[in-house]
Amino acid sequence: MTSESLLLPAAVAWPMLLALASLTPGFRSCLRAALPLAPLPALAAAFLAPREVLVNAPELLLGGGGLMLTDAGAVFLGAAAGLWFCAAIYAVRYMRDDAHPVSFALFWNLVLAGNLGVFMAADLASFYVFFALLSLMAYPLVIHDRKPASLRAGTVYIVLAVIGETALLVGFMLAAHVADGAIMIEEVRAALTASPTQPATLWFLIVGFGIKAGLMPLHVWLPVAHPAAPTPASAVLSGAIVKAGIFGLLMFLPLGATFEMVGSVLAFLGFAGLFAAALLGLAQTNAKTVLAYSTVSQMGLIVGVIGVAQAAGTPAASVLAAVALYALHHGLAKGALFLGVGLAQHTTGAWRWLVVMVLAAVALSVAGLPLTAGAMVKEVIKEPAGALGASLIGVSSLTSGLILARYLFVLPASATQTRPPLMLLAPTVALAVAALCAPWMVLTWSAATIDYEPSDLLSQVVDAWPLGFALILAGIVVLLRLKCPTLPEGDLLFLMRQGLLGANATLRRVGRFAQAMATPVAREQRTKQRGAAWLNYLDSLERAAQGQAAIGGLLLLVAAALGAALLYG
Amino acid sequence: MSPLDLLVATPLGFMLAALAFGGQGRWLILVASPLMMSLAVWLVFLPPDAAHVVGGWDLPLGILLRGDGVARVFVLGAALCAALVGLQALYEFSPQSGGPSARNRGFWPLFYLMWAGANAGFLTTDLFNLYVALEMVSLAGVGLSALGSLQAALRYFLFALMGSLAYLLGVALLFANYGTVDITLLARTAEADAATLMALAVMTGGLLVKSALFPLHGWLPPAHAAAPAPASALLSAIVVKLGFVILMRLWFEAFATLAAPIAVGLLGALGAAAVIYGSIQAMRQRQLKALVAYSTVAQVGYLFVAFPLVAAAPSAAWSGMTLHAVAHMLAKAAMFLAAGLMLKAAPGRDIADLVGLARVMPVTVTAFALAAISLMGLPPSGGFAAKFMLLDAALDQGAYIYAAVLLGGGLMAAVYLFRPIAVAFSGAHGRAVALKAPLAAVAPLALAMCAIALGFFGVAFAELAAIGAPWAQGDAIGGVP
Amino acid sequence: MLVEGGHVFAVTGAVLAGLGFYSFLVKRHPIRQLLAANVVGAGVFLMLGGLGRSPGGADPFAQALVITGIVIAVALSALGAAMVVRLAACGDKDEAPLGEKREGP
Repeated sequence: MTSESLLLPAAVAWPMLLALASLTPGFRSCLRAALPLAPLPALAAAFLAPREVLVNAPELLLGGGGLMLTDAGAVFLGAAAGLWFCAAIYAVRYMRDDAHPVSFALFWNLVLAGNLGVFMAADLASFYVFFALLSLMAYPLVIHDRKPASLRAGTVYIVLAVIGETALLVGFMLAAHVADGAIMIEEVRAALTASPTQPATLWFLIVGFGIKAGLMPLHVWLPVAHPAAPTPASAVLSGAIVKAGIFGLLMFLPLGATFEMVGSVLAFLGFAGLFAAALLGLAQTNAKTVLAYSTVSQMGLIVGVIGVAQAAGTPAASVLAAVALYALHHGLAKGALFLGVGLAQHTTGAWRWLVVMVLAAVALSVAGLPLTAGAMVKEVIKEPAGALGASLIGVSSLTSGLILARYLFVLPASATQTRPPLMLLAPTVALAVAALCAPWMVLTWSAATIDYEPSDLLSQVVDAWPLGFALILAGIVVLLRLKCPTLPEGDLLFLMRQGLLGANATLRRVGRFAQAMATPVAREQRTKQRGAAWLNYLDSLERAAQGQAAIGGLLLLVAAALGAALLYG
Repeated sequence: MSPLDLLVATPLGFMLAALAFGGQGRWLILVASPLMMSLAVWLVFLPPDAAHVVGGWDLPLGILLRGDGVARVFVLGAALCAALVGLQALYEFSPQSGGPSARNRGFWPLFYLMWAGANAGFLTTDLFNLYVALEMVSLAGVGLSALGSLQAALRYFLFALMGSLAYLLGVALLFANYGTVDITLLARTAEADAATLMALAVMTGGLLVKSALFPLHGWLPPAHAAAPAPASALLSAIVVKLGFVILMRLWFEAFATLAAPIAVGLLGALGAAAVIYGSIQAMRQRQLKALVAYSTVAQVGYLFVAFPLVAAAPSAAWSGMTLHAVAHMLAKAAMFLAAGLMLKAAPGRDIADLVGLARVMPVTVTAFALAAISLMGLPPSGGFAAKFMLLDAALDQGAYIYAAVLLGGGLMAAVYLFRPIAVAFSGAHGRAVALKAPLAAVAPLALAMCAIALGFFGVAFAELAAIGAPWAQGDAIGGVP
Repeated sequence: MLVEGGHVFAVTGAVLAGLGFYSFLVKRHPIRQLLAANVVGAGVFLMLGGLGRSPGGADPFAQALVITGIVIAVALSALGAAMVVRLAACGDKDEAPLGEKREGP
């Protein structure tokens, strides 16, 4: 084992160590200052660590597993580490007057460890543990300001996260069984590829990862939870953490084998989300919520492409590289845009224009302006997306352009401070630059797997007509001062609540059951009036079990039943 | 001397000393905790066939203590729990705590008696010695719950008494039939005649009362809800587990070949019912301690859901079952201790009174949350590793109903345990007042961290629990000739 | 002979245990339940002693078991009686914990 491969365990152990240190009383003063140090080993690992070399830890977890960096994993790891690094510098200044510095540092580092670990895990158990660390420890970040709205968002988040974890657990267990007990991810994927009789496994995995990646009907937590967190945490949530879901899909779906049903459903949900989320986002007034919807939309694109590839049986290698490149660009760009929200709060006048220009450049790249990195990654990802997918991706520039114009339009402004703090400005600009440059660098390194032939400028410009159309539309809206309709955050969630409150009698019954379930025993009387008879039955059961007669009677009953079962069984 | 008998004799000695020293006896825990911990660790590292005959009498009359894998993990888990709960009790039952002095003094002898009884029960394989250990623990348990509410204690007492008598009846039948009550000897000679099977049935019924399996759990919620936090912690962590360990020894060691699948399935069904019933009741509780108590009812259910899985394929589910018991021991003790501290700081006993508590006592609430993670079976925790192993076995055997119960129980646990945590984190201006004892939260935090850490050592734990396991010797369970 | 040797004790014990169990089920007052449990205990000990009788006389091992069991039963009965008395002194509904000062005489 070389010293470079030790970077992998270091990349996850170091943030955990910092998390532990943040509990030490003597360390309080330099808590925030230490935040940017946490992702540095991972950043180094993304560049230096040897690929496809297993670093194993035989005694931990289920044994036999370990950490391993794949080519795609390295791209994800590098993007995540870079984003976490910039967001941490930003957090040093942004969270200066924070009321709970220990809690922030502790959970920031834990989520970071989980996030980085997901991209390096080589076996099911460690993947699952890192994924759960990431999911569950992000809850305190979501509710960090303890405002009622954040707490509500946190509840939605944790409910879906736990459901996702459960689905994932079932999926993993079934997958391990398909693979005859093997727990290495590679073997599991190979087994899934070879046995087309196990679609249930895939569905569980898709629900588990889909919740994290904001796949359309499962995305409800994302537009409420991402804006609730403090801005640097929103940036990593939207930029790096949702990528864990995408990465999971890439790692476990049997790409290369043909699963038409699974693939078509994924493609449909993904591409539907690509457009629907962007349109829903237009009706938002909070810049961070608009960005969260844009994330749902962009993740929809990626999932759609994965779905098409799954349905067509496209070899894994080309999908992996293209998606990794797209995710890299989106992660860095979305991070910059989120950080820009906090930055815009602190600026007015000329500085604000400068900031908006930088953010606009990033936004244009995400929407696919010709010659930018965004256009390039879109071109690359069209390759495995098939003909229909490619044209959908092309048209999506229209909705992407509109939603990002909406974002720039609702950016907050400050009334007092004119010059942005350097500690906020520098990481934002750095991320923006990285978003515009890093994909080109990665493209040159992975020339072997990605086949990118830029078409001539004219055809590129012509192909970008949806974006131009979007700009014109946005211009008209601004000039005529038209107002967008507004919708509450979390669309489906809101609809579900409305549905429960509404006239639909069946739904009301369901709601009443749910309410009665949560009704404490002391309010038994009211429950009785509402007619939840089976709950009263539960109460009398409990009274019977605690009653004097139960002591002998139930004992006799159980013993007799056991005796009969033993004698005649 | 050997750690085997020291593990029983030492707490008894401390019990006498605590009685003799009266009010100052509480400081003995500072010696007892490290001493007992080191004895338990010593036990873990003994050679695999460690056994010891107390006093050197010949076997039927002498008392054989045997350190097999089950004994090792349970003694170690009980030592961790009791040592840390004892440290917490030092604070809880100090003269400054404001409680009556008889209560403060009364705790310690009962505490040591329970510890001695539990260790004796884990280490012996003689059914009559098990009866004696069971009674020591029940006596101490009744006394401990009487520190809270006499009425609940009396109910528990009557339940426990009936359970013991049922167990003793079974022992009498077995003795009449085979002339021995040693589990190892019974395993060789037992035959599936009516007397043996009836004995197994009544003994099981009695022990189910002790381990509070639905529908025989009636004594547990009232006794837990009223008792002081350390007493509740010991009741849920240790008392309930002793009954379970004896059941394990009966069904998988002594009578492994006799148990009809339908009987084991009945236990599994009761376990599944307990998981569902306990979870629903826990969701509906208004008081924090009642919620935690019903969570014990649900968690005990898991242990019996594992019964049919172990009976079908012992090697896979055995470690999952024992690991779940030990993880629950640690996590539930942590949760009761944390809940006790939280209720001291909160204005009332209800969950709604916890508003803003995370701000006042962050470490305690963290301990509660960590314990909750293990109880929900979320990774990385002992509860997760156990559930993983059980789920693996269930899927392997195609027992999808049990797998669904395992998963559904975890989801339900997430629902009811999330409620107090969410309330504690909400609200800036609760009426909670900080305790003036910053060190009081150390014990629950340490216990909860142990429960979490257990998840990282699943493999090592499985190896430890398999030492001398009945299925490993090839003469028991599961169609082995 | 209908029953032989020690079996006459065992049968008596079984009858006693059954009677005790029945009255445990139907009686509500804790003192009566405690007494009923003691009757069950006596029955079980009688069974243990009677069934453990070998043809050559009493089996010392069975007697050791019975004596130990009786000691335990006495201790438990004392604890139960103490609790019932204390509870009666505090009033039936009072959830007074052990060790708290009693009101009144």
